[in-house]
Amino acid sequence: MLEISNLSVSYGGLRALTDVSLTVAEGQFVTVVGPNGAGKTTLFKTISGVVKPASGSITFFGKDLLSLSASQRAHLGIAHVPEGRQVFKTLTVRENLEMGAYPAAGQAAWARTLDRIHTLFPILHERAGQMAGTLSGGEQQMVAIGRGLACAPRLLMLDEPSMGLAPAVTDTIFERVQQIHKEDGVTILLVEQRVAEALELSDHGYVLETGHMVLDGNYETLLADDRVRKSYLGLT
Amino acid sequence: MDIESLIENVANALTAGVTIGCIYGLMCIGLGLIFGIMKVVNFAQGEILMLGMFASLYLVTGGGVLAFLGPYVGPFVGAILAGPIIFVVGALIHKFLISRVSGLKTAGSIDDGHFGQLIVTLGISLILQNGGMIVFGSTPFTVRTPLSSSAIEVGLGIGDASVFLNKAKLIACAVAIVTALALYMTMEFTRIGKALRAAADNPTAATYMGIDVDKYYRMAFGMGCGITAIAGGLMATYLSFGPFVGFDYVIIMYSGVVLGGIGSIMGAFWGGLTVGFVQQFSALILPPQLQNAAIFIVFLLIVLLRPQGLFGRSAERA
Ligand SMILES: Nc1ncnc2c1ncn2[C@@H]1O[C@H](COP(=O)(O)OP(=O)(O)O)[C@@H](O)[C@H]1O
Ligand SMILES: [Mg+2]
Repeated sequence: MLEISNLSVSYGGLRALTDVSLTVAEGQFVTVVGPNGAGKTTLFKTISGVVKPASGSITFFGKDLLSLSASQRAHLGIAHVPEGRQVFKTLTVRENLEMGAYPAAGQAAWARTLDRIHTLFPILHERAGQMAGTLSGGEQQMVAIGRGLACAPRLLMLDEPSMGLAPAVTDTIFERVQQIHKEDGVTILLVEQRVAEALELSDHGYVLETGHMVLDGNYETLLADDRVRKSYLGLT
Repeated sequence: MDIESLIENVANALTAGVTIGCIYGLMCIGLGLIFGIMKVVNFAQGEILMLGMFASLYLVTGGGVLAFLGPYVGPFVGAILAGPIIFVVGALIHKFLISRVSGLKTAGSIDDGHFGQLIVTLGISLILQNGGMIVFGSTPFTVRTPLSSSAIEVGLGIGDASVFLNKAKLIACAVAIVTALALYMTMEFTRIGKALRAAADNPTAATYMGIDVDKYYRMAFGMGCGITAIAGGLMATYLSFGPFVGFDYVIIMYSGVVLGGIGSIMGAFWGGLTVGFVQQFSALILPPQLQNAAIFIVFLLIVLLRPQGLFGRSAERA
């Protein structure tokens, strides 16, 4: 469904991504791992359209994404749960979810998705009227994921959902992401620092280092790779 | 001064403060909306007020399309219709000028585009003032209605003391309150209002939701201009104005917006109301040329004691 080929991105003169290719098939759970500054967030921002690439192509269900403006892309069913959550702090929890449902598909499915979001994250029901900026980090992450789900996405992109969260909260988040994949059949593209857990969940993993895709494969292949074992999993 | 006339003066200042304050409040909402949503400091907002006055004037007087409504209803319908007209003017100003120095284009640049906005809006202000001079001339105008020289007298039950309610200001005040309420409902409860607030809160995240942020910013700028223009049309019924009238009011608008809490759109209404009160009360004890000074003293006091503004609130986790 998502096809990225030979993507290069620069910030001014600084190369952030070089010749990156990546494929996500419908129904898959794909993870991108890599150290800080590798270009993972840049990859997501380029897919969403807030960063323009220097060269390469991105298609979504055969459609050329690069010819669309950033705001048009969400309407195709791409949900971006950004790094650092980026909830609408001055809007209530419910309003945040409503804004997630801004595209037509989200509005049509609103009653059903809201129910589902509340089942996954009951706290969002309890806090419906509270301003999102006053929530804890974990709760804000739930708002961000719920907001992503609200558009009835075909592809859910999650950028480091565990960032800055306590381990117990991270576990919950991981569990929910897995549920969203398994039970709702949503295709997932995940960026994570918690490499072991992330790869375990995925059908396919990519390793991004300083803007280059250095390795990809399924869990077993990656686990068998010495570099991955040493640098990311801390195994020997 | 005996006690009876003191009570009468205070009561009259109070009612004049409320009526004029509500109109100021509406005027301030326009500026507050533009700053609150787009973070653009618009120095041309006084001239937008002036354009609202002239739009209403040309609609209702002489051969204007609303002349048939007569001098009682016409001026107020004219003021309301100045809103959509100046909305379009504002949207065009945004499309061709403001959008180049604001929004996603300048987000993340060193000054977020504020320096460009300062120059561009000051430039627009000067062009509209001098352009207005050429087009409208400098003789003072007013949108005449017999209601502005007629008052309702309400006795206070203490001797002969009574309050005089100017009919034109009373109706203008009612229109201002209804317009402010309509805007409040739009911002709070409609999809457009929520998308506007989302685009203000976090433009990048709003883009991820599929919200066309630049389109909403254009709408916010148009709405901000339209709202201030309605206030201008209302004020035109009771004061005389010319192309340079904006200068007197831009100061009041900025005081109101800061008093209400920068970024709080409805707070701007209460800020404007406060300014109206201060102005009318200071008239009791101060000569007219010191009224603006009084506004600023209160302004400075509030900035010192409550820097987030009277009605500002924080959405951050404490
Ligand atoms: N807005 C920006 N301007 C300039 N350089 C940037 C910007 N955003 C990211 N970079 C640089 O691009 C590289 C990749 O960053 P990023 O995509 O955030 O990596 P990751 O998400 O993998 O930590 C880093 O070297 C970073 O400093
Ligand atoms: Mg990142």
